[in-house]
Amino acid sequence: MWREFFALLKKDFKLMLSGRFFLLMTGSLILYSCYINFIYAGLDQNIYPVYLYDPLCVHNETSSELIKVESSEELQAQTGDGYAVGIDVSGKTPDISMISSGISSIDQYRAAYAMSLLSSKNHTAAEIIGTDNREMKSRREITCELLFFELAAVGFLGIASVLFKEKQMGIIRVHGVLPVGKTVFILSKLLLFLICDLVFSLLLTVINLGVSEGFAVLPYILLQTGILSLIMALTGFSCAILLRDFKQFSLLYLVLAIFITTPVFLAGQTGTARGWINYHPMYHLFMAMKNAYRGIPSENGIYYAICGLTIVLLSGLVRRTLIREMAKEG
Amino acid sequence: MIDVKDLVFSYQKQKETLHGLTFSVADGEIFGFLGPNGSGKSTTQKILTGILRGYNGEVHLFEKPLECQQKDFREKTGVLFELPYLYTNLSPLDNLNYFAGFYPAKRCRNIHELLEMLEFKKDFLKKPVSSCSKGMRQRVSMARALLNNPDLLFLDEPTSGLDPQGAVLFRNIIEKERKKGTTIFLTTHNMTDADLLCDRVAFIADGEIRVIDSPKNLKEKNSSHLTEITYLYKGKRNTALIETPELKAGIPFPYDEIVSIHSGEPTLEDIFIHYTGRGLS
Repeated sequence: MWREFFALLKKDFKLMLSGRFFLLMTGSLILYSCYINFIYAGLDQNIYPVYLYDPLCVHNETSSELIKVESSEELQAQTGDGYAVGIDVSGKTPDISMISSGISSIDQYRAAYAMSLLSSKNHTAAEIIGTDNREMKSRREITCELLFFELAAVGFLGIASVLFKEKQMGIIRVHGVLPVGKTVFILSKLLLFLICDLVFSLLLTVINLGVSEGFAVLPYILLQTGILSLIMALTGFSCAILLRDFKQFSLLYLVLAIFITTPVFLAGQTGTARGWINYHPMYHLFMAMKNAYRGIPSENGIYYAICGLTIVLLSGLVRRTLIREMAKEG
Repeated sequence: MIDVKDLVFSYQKQKETLHGLTFSVADGEIFGFLGPNGSGKSTTQKILTGILRGYNGEVHLFEKPLECQQKDFREKTGVLFELPYLYTNLSPLDNLNYFAGFYPAKRCRNIHELLEMLEFKKDFLKKPVSSCSKGMRQRVSMARALLNNPDLLFLDEPTSGLDPQGAVLFRNIIEKERKKGTTIFLTTHNMTDADLLCDRVAFIADGEIRVIDSPKNLKEKNSSHLTEITYLYKGKRNTALIETPELKAGIPFPYDEIVSIHSGEPTLEDIFIHYTGRGLS
């Protein structure tokens, strides 16, 4: 069995090489790492500018971050950008003036922050303990998102492109008369793509989180990568065999990449989750990956049981479709 | 070698493709399976090669039921598909080395010798298959079928896509295989191949075998036993039909010159039409 398995592995590796799969993976790794290190990690939003109108000079011991204005008209003009906050203390009680962000909780934070600058001359900053600072949080979030996208969309496309090539050449039918089992044929492809995905996630994590931070969370990430990689590779495998041509597959790919992963990213990143997202299978895979990047392993047994069952069911489907493809007319 | 009894197969419920085929192929025999498109030839070959399951009836290969066959069955059989089906981005050598990886080393033939026997152009050995002509691809495909030195060889239209010289070469190779003791199941449209190579042929139409016999017997059985003689007599050209046994005593009419003598023996295609009521195309 091993001789046949290695013959298949060698051939699949050659097909992936000729299909420039490794070039695509390396390109993605470089592009993602450049984006994370040179753009995303440096992104920060300045804190809200706060303007104070205090004609009677009641508040003398305010924070140096407060910007004083001379008239209420000037205060209105400065807060008209929808971001700045104004405090008018010309009356008995301070009035907050700002354009609403549209989310009441954010408006509350802005108002509370502005009022806090009134009460203290020396505004203290929160102390960051350890290396898990704002930049590291950003790195974890974006690395997780990019890895999830790479595995869900690009990995799915990778295995399908290899299979479509074999299907077009009619070579899958030849394997039906060779002394090699269908399971071995499927396993060789899965193993190769799994190894590629694991290596990719290892490199992406270590390059963008750093060696110590990266290796600390790596076991959890590799586990989630393995699960997602197998599910996506098996889905790609069955779709490539079931669908007639690459045009049909491209349409499905578009649906998968945009309409399935987009709500998952939105719900997972912006906190605007709705109840229905809990029924979205990709959401749970994404959240498990996100937790893995925070170093929190998923301890939910049901999650692993459903993942395992999905992999088994998809393997059965792949085997069935493969047998059907082998028996097709030439 | 092959024993098939009451073989029934349906792709869809209520629509039978094969209606109870019964035939057997002896060890070392070349058995021709002839029929028009859609007659059930390919379905039968797919069942025999183990690709298609869900059939009814009995199929024995190497004196064992097909459903009980193990991996060694595939090691002992070779299949040539109608189309070459090769990795077009790999070279012929890489293709054959890859397929050789599935067979035990003791069964494998030398790839270079095989390609030389098939008169494969050496310049193309290491070039991608996509750069090879149809005939060259068919040669690589034939090399793949012979790679494991099979005891049972399934050939589907072996000479299609070959020039006349290539077709003669393939027929010689098939003959050589038979001399070695290989059993050959030949599926073809080509009556010349069937006539020249097969010990016996089966005519299949609409999922039924209409007749099985040797090409020689079939011709004899369906012959009119008449001989057509064209001759010149007193400056005139005449044609006469004579019962062939009558010729034993010589030509029974006066003539000055014999122009041609044709036996009334039918071609294999004529016999096919006679039994199936339709042509092969």
